[in-house]
Amino acid sequence: MKNRFLSIPLFLLTVFSLSGFQKARTSIGQPGLLKITFVNTVKGKPLQMDSTVYTNPFSETYSVRKFKYYISNVAVAFSDGIYKEIDSYHLIDESKPASLSFIFSAAPNRYHSFMFMIGVDSLKNVSGAQTGPLDPLNDMFWTWNSGYVMAKLEGNSPQSKVVNNKVEFHIGGFSGEYNVLKKLLLNFPAGISLDIREGKTSEIIIESDLDKWWQHPNDLKISDHPVCTTPGELAKKIADNYSNMFSIKQVINN
Amino acid sequence: MISLCAGIALFSLFISAGNKPGPGPTYLQFKIPAGWPKPATDIFAKNRLSEEGFQLGKKLFYDGRLSKDGNFPCAGCHQQFGAFASYDHDFSHGYNNTFTTRNAPGLFNLAWMPAMHWDGGVNHIEVQPLSPITAPNEMAENLDSVLRKLRKDTTYLRLFKAAFGTPEINSQRMLKALAQFTGSIVSSNSKYDKVQRGEASFTPGELNGYNFFKANCASCHKEPLFTDYSFRNNGLAVSPFLNDYGRMKITGNKADSLKFKVPSLRNVALTFPYMHDGRLYSLGAVIDHYRSGIITTQPTLDPLLVNRVTISNKEKNDLIYFLNTLTDTTMTHDPRFSEKVTYFSH
Ligand code: HEC
Ligand code: HEC
Repeated sequence: MKNRFLSIPLFLLTVFSLSGFQKARTSIGQPGLLKITFVNTVKGKPLQMDSTVYTNPFSETYSVRKFKYYISNVAVAFSDGIYKEIDSYHLIDESKPASLSFIFSAAPNRYHSFMFMIGVDSLKNVSGAQTGPLDPLNDMFWTWNSGYVMAKLEGNSPQSKVVNNKVEFHIGGFSGEYNVLKKLLLNFPAGISLDIREGKTSEIIIESDLDKWWQHPNDLKISDHPVCTTPGELAKKIADNYSNMFSIKQVINN
Repeated sequence: MISLCAGIALFSLFISAGNKPGPGPTYLQFKIPAGWPKPATDIFAKNRLSEEGFQLGKKLFYDGRLSKDGNFPCAGCHQQFGAFASYDHDFSHGYNNTFTTRNAPGLFNLAWMPAMHWDGGVNHIEVQPLSPITAPNEMAENLDSVLRKLRKDTTYLRLFKAAFGTPEINSQRMLKALAQFTGSIVSSNSKYDKVQRGEASFTPGELNGYNFFKANCASCHKEPLFTDYSFRNNGLAVSPFLNDYGRMKITGNKADSLKFKVPSLRNVALTFPYMHDGRLYSLGAVIDHYRSGIITTQPTLDPLLVNRVTISNKEKNDLIYFLNTLTDTTMTHDPRFSEKVTYFSH
């Protein structure tokens, strides 16, 4: 099949509620496979860690040393139901190419949208020792205030006044007023669908634009906020921004 | 069957649930002392308690290799003879001549505790060890390095296999085993408990103290666990050295300023010095705090304490007699929890 390039305007990003999840209908026949790939970019260009100096909307310059985030509760929706990935937790880590894609089996069907949560759902934050992507070895778990760091961005900027001009965002908080968890639904545009067929692998490529961390809805200058490592109002504002970083770049049907 | 045993086996906290021969761990039943509430959540529901898991957890608890230089096992700060608190230390010693910034609490009846640490920042017993293992002023290690050390030891490979079926050593298994050990420590055989069960009686002084306690202290230090696990401000001045605002650090809510978890008073005669920073060295000093030391101008002071507590010298003495009845030497001497003795039969 041909590759189709899609660019999804921001207004198609709608927050959906977990109650929208339904059990997929049992399908007949062999499942197909769905591959999800994340491409981290800055304003559409593939992210280059360490070396490249970027400029944010406030003309502040920065470089990136670490960029990782959790994606969980992945699902695809068809006309009257959804298909959920089982045990769906993924740590997307720019420094580990293998972490940028994952594959799971999905029921053959025609799907119209992609759903996921940015971060680790609250239940897994209170359920004790986990393993795999949720292993505390991944350095994404707070020990003094139990809970996962949902997204991490670290680097340097001359506009940061903290030691070594550090920029350090460890964004978390899974309950209460400053809960940073976000559920997203990305619709494929009219006329485009994801087709899962028996024994075949189709793919969704998601672009994550790091430039979105600084603006919309909240203007966040590095000079004002170089560091955020605790749950709270600032973390929530940053999460409000980064929840807009995802768009569907491509759907590849096979 | 279990409930029948529960009536009889008051102190034997573990009943082997079916001694099945052959491979696989020997599962244990966690016993709730008669008359006690059920824990809000069952910490062993997803971490099935077994003899092998418990023994592995005990070995880990006493093993210095969980710390950077080998000198700071869990048991270094949590000593059995001191009810698993740091005996006679306001702050405990950590790696490289450091001190902890809070007083180490006793470890017992953790299966009932909904949130750990003085500020409740730790939400599950299984993830608690991550905090001391990685804190630079405690064990100063990292998880990866601990696991590498354990994997080199064939005894551990054998113990992990016995507890979990395969010799794989990972963080989840290590943490679950530690929780099986610490979560199994139950203190329920003090003189107070014996009196409740009709096996002993209070002296007149202890009884006066108990009655005074029920009237003035038990709304926070609630029987039978001697805490309601809530976070409260009992009127201590904030320490200018530590600037520790307690619960507020976790919730970010001003209303939680200077609130700390109500500590259990079981074994309180052993767990001196007292309060989150160990600032009070004796029970007498604690009672003096409640009768004359409470800072009544703090906006978050608990409403129960705004008028301080009127306590005569006689009542003070009786209260101390009573608090001494909460010491459980069965637990502090139980060979099951101590380093040397092991009942491991494999
Ligand atoms: C250097 C001393 C030190 C070491 C080593 C240490 N602890 Fe602690 N422990 C403390 C202190 C201090 C606290 C109180 C922390 C707080 O409230 O912020 C504590 C609190 C706890 C608590 C919570 C108790 C409660 O009432 O909230 C548990 C459980 C615990 N420790 C278990 C362990 C285990 C398991 C280990 C080994 C992996 C360990 N500790 C190693 C000093 C230590
Ligand atoms: C309003 C609730 C409340 C009441 C009433 C109360 N306490 Fe406390 N108590 C606390 C809190 C909270 C702490 C821990 C404070 C801290 O460390 O900052 C504490 C700590 C203690 C400690 C120190 C225990 C340890 O291990 O460090 C003792 C002893 C104690 N209380 C005894 C009493 C006695 C005796 C009374 C009755 C005269 C009493 N309390 C009444 C809330 C209360």
